[in-house]
Amino acid sequence: MSRTVSLHEVSKTFGASQHPALTGVSLEVPAGSCTAILGPSGSGKSTILRVIAGLERVSAGKVVVDGTDVGGIAAEKRGIGMVFQRPLLFPHLSVLDNIAFSQRVGGASRVASRRHAQHYLDLVQLGGFGARSVQALSGGQEQRVAIARALAAAPGVLLLDEPFSALDPALRDDMHELLDDIRRAEAPTIILVTHDRDEASAVADNIAVIDGGELLQHDTVDHLYNRPASIRVSRLMGGLNEIEGTVQAGMHVSPLGRVPVPANTPDGPGILVIRHEAIEVSPCTEAAAPPSGVIGHVSRVRRFGPRRMVSVAFRGGLLLHAALPPGDAVRDGCRVSLTLPPQAVSVVAVPIGPVFGEPGSGAPR
Amino acid sequence: MTGLDLRRPGDPGSTLTLAHGRGRLLRVLSTTLVASWFLLPFAPLALWAFANQWSFPSTLPTEWGFDGLSSAIAQGALPALGTSLLLSLVVAALATPLGALAARALTFGTVPWPRTVSIALLAPIALPPFAAVLGLNVLLLRAHIPPEAGLVLVLVVMAVPYTTFTMRVAYAAHDIHYEEEARTLGASRWNILWRVHIPLVAPALSRAAFLAFLVGWSDYVVTVVVGGGEVVTLPLVTASMAAGIGNDSAVAILSLSAIVPPLALLALAGFAGRRPRTGAVQKTPNVGERP
Repeated sequence: MSRTVSLHEVSKTFGASQHPALTGVSLEVPAGSCTAILGPSGSGKSTILRVIAGLERVSAGKVVVDGTDVGGIAAEKRGIGMVFQRPLLFPHLSVLDNIAFSQRVGGASRVASRRHAQHYLDLVQLGGFGARSVQALSGGQEQRVAIARALAAAPGVLLLDEPFSALDPALRDDMHELLDDIRRAEAPTIILVTHDRDEASAVADNIAVIDGGELLQHDTVDHLYNRPASIRVSRLMGGLNEIEGTVQAGMHVSPLGRVPVPANTPDGPGILVIRHEAIEVSPCTEAAAPPSGVIGHVSRVRRFGPRRMVSVAFRGGLLLHAALPPGDAVRDGCRVSLTLPPQAVSVVAVPIGPVFGEPGSGAPR
Repeated sequence: MTGLDLRRPGDPGSTLTLAHGRGRLLRVLSTTLVASWFLLPFAPLALWAFANQWSFPSTLPTEWGFDGLSSAIAQGALPALGTSLLLSLVVAALATPLGALAARALTFGTVPWPRTVSIALLAPIALPPFAAVLGLNVLLLRAHIPPEAGLVLVLVVMAVPYTTFTMRVAYAAHDIHYEEEARTLGASRWNILWRVHIPLVAPALSRAAFLAFLVGWSDYVVTVVVGGGEVVTLPLVTASMAAGIGNDSAVAILSLSAIVPPLALLALAGFAGRRPRTGAVQKTPNVGERP
């Protein structure tokens, strides 16, 4: 049984701190969906989970689960499961008894709670590990048991606070698959906190980007990458390309040239953003630019695993970055034509005041 | 035979095994030395305990027997042993939870001026017990507190610094998130205390209780002054017999019997403090294993 979670203008200030951890966060997570809360360290994303779980009281605003304000309900009575970054398995209990914990404290007999727990142990593919001591588990197995333990309490909402960040990449992929299996089998509402964009897009239906205690955008994965609401979101999502200019009649005009933008873009000053993955790069060429393309010179090629990142310089010192598949078609100094597909181009407002960080630099990876 | 000339650890002549063997020999030797350092003083005690007569210059007792034992019993050793055990257990039972509460409050910052409070809690260790107890005794007498209760009260105060310190070390390494996790699993406060908190700090609790027990077990000054002769413990009987002449074998018996309870408790604490390695699941077969 999954449940809807809504936050209404939730603010949280710790003690006498000058800086609130959360300011006016409103968020709606539909029943059975998976939302990732993405943000850099210290952005307040874990605080959101703790507020939903009931481990922290809100300073203002309210948390509503299935239409009920849960502000006055203690954490142990909310029916909201939570898995922390560290597995926190009880060292004095066996693997099976860890998973049986919620049933035991709920008053079930030892035998009944263990029988119940075995189902969840099977679900996380550790069926034969029940009798083991938790000290005998590997990091990945520990986190599986922690998830099984949370699920065994049959929570309508499962909160995951960076549960996979301590695991190596291969294990993390396994855990993402496990999360898919769990969603198919139990369909809890999942809210996952992460600082990893790839993880967020791998497991979640929606992503809520948070920074400095403020919710910047809550949207589908595709929209966050291709239609960021602001320059801050673009940077937090790892966007590298920002071209200042002016929108005139469906065209973004800048030293780069005239680039077609989405039809509903209002006229006036705006920053063109486009994902480096979306830019198509021609081989070294002497031909003229295609209709939605621009001509520049390769200034740098860097390798990222099998892929390469090319930086292309334009007149006026402008730079565009594009990700390239493996191959040998471009090299430093060669003249290339870049195509900016209109469906990947978007224009965001010029920020008032400073925006912290550089494009791509302070962004979470 | 592959013809490879590889030398493996364990092969004859391997330097790795040699170093290992030498290290082990050193370890065994040093352990034996330390053990005998502790045990040697008990040899004459053990001999005296069963010596009816032992005259100079004989190396061993000249007449063996149980005179010492009967003399000790005649002097009230058995009720004194009982009183000592009861007193020490009561002191441990009171000082351990008090120390745990104080340590938890100090560690998790719910106490104003934690530094001052820590110093106040540790003060009884620094104070010479004689000075403190003489002053306190007047106060206890004026307040009409019965000597037994006064004795327990003062010994608990003297034991609390030890239990607090032991528990603070444990709480410094204690992760409060375990309790938060238990809450999200639906555990009430009582369940968290009983099923999570106490098991997690159990090794430290048993260490603290052992120290508090020792404070009560080995006390002499407070029992004499505050107990006012009403409470006769083993140290009091031992001291009074040791002050007399010709009681060597009875004193030896009393001293040896004073060692046994703490040793038994230490063994028990060591046993209880060990984490179960496999859990208790084996009791119900077919539940823990996939068929």
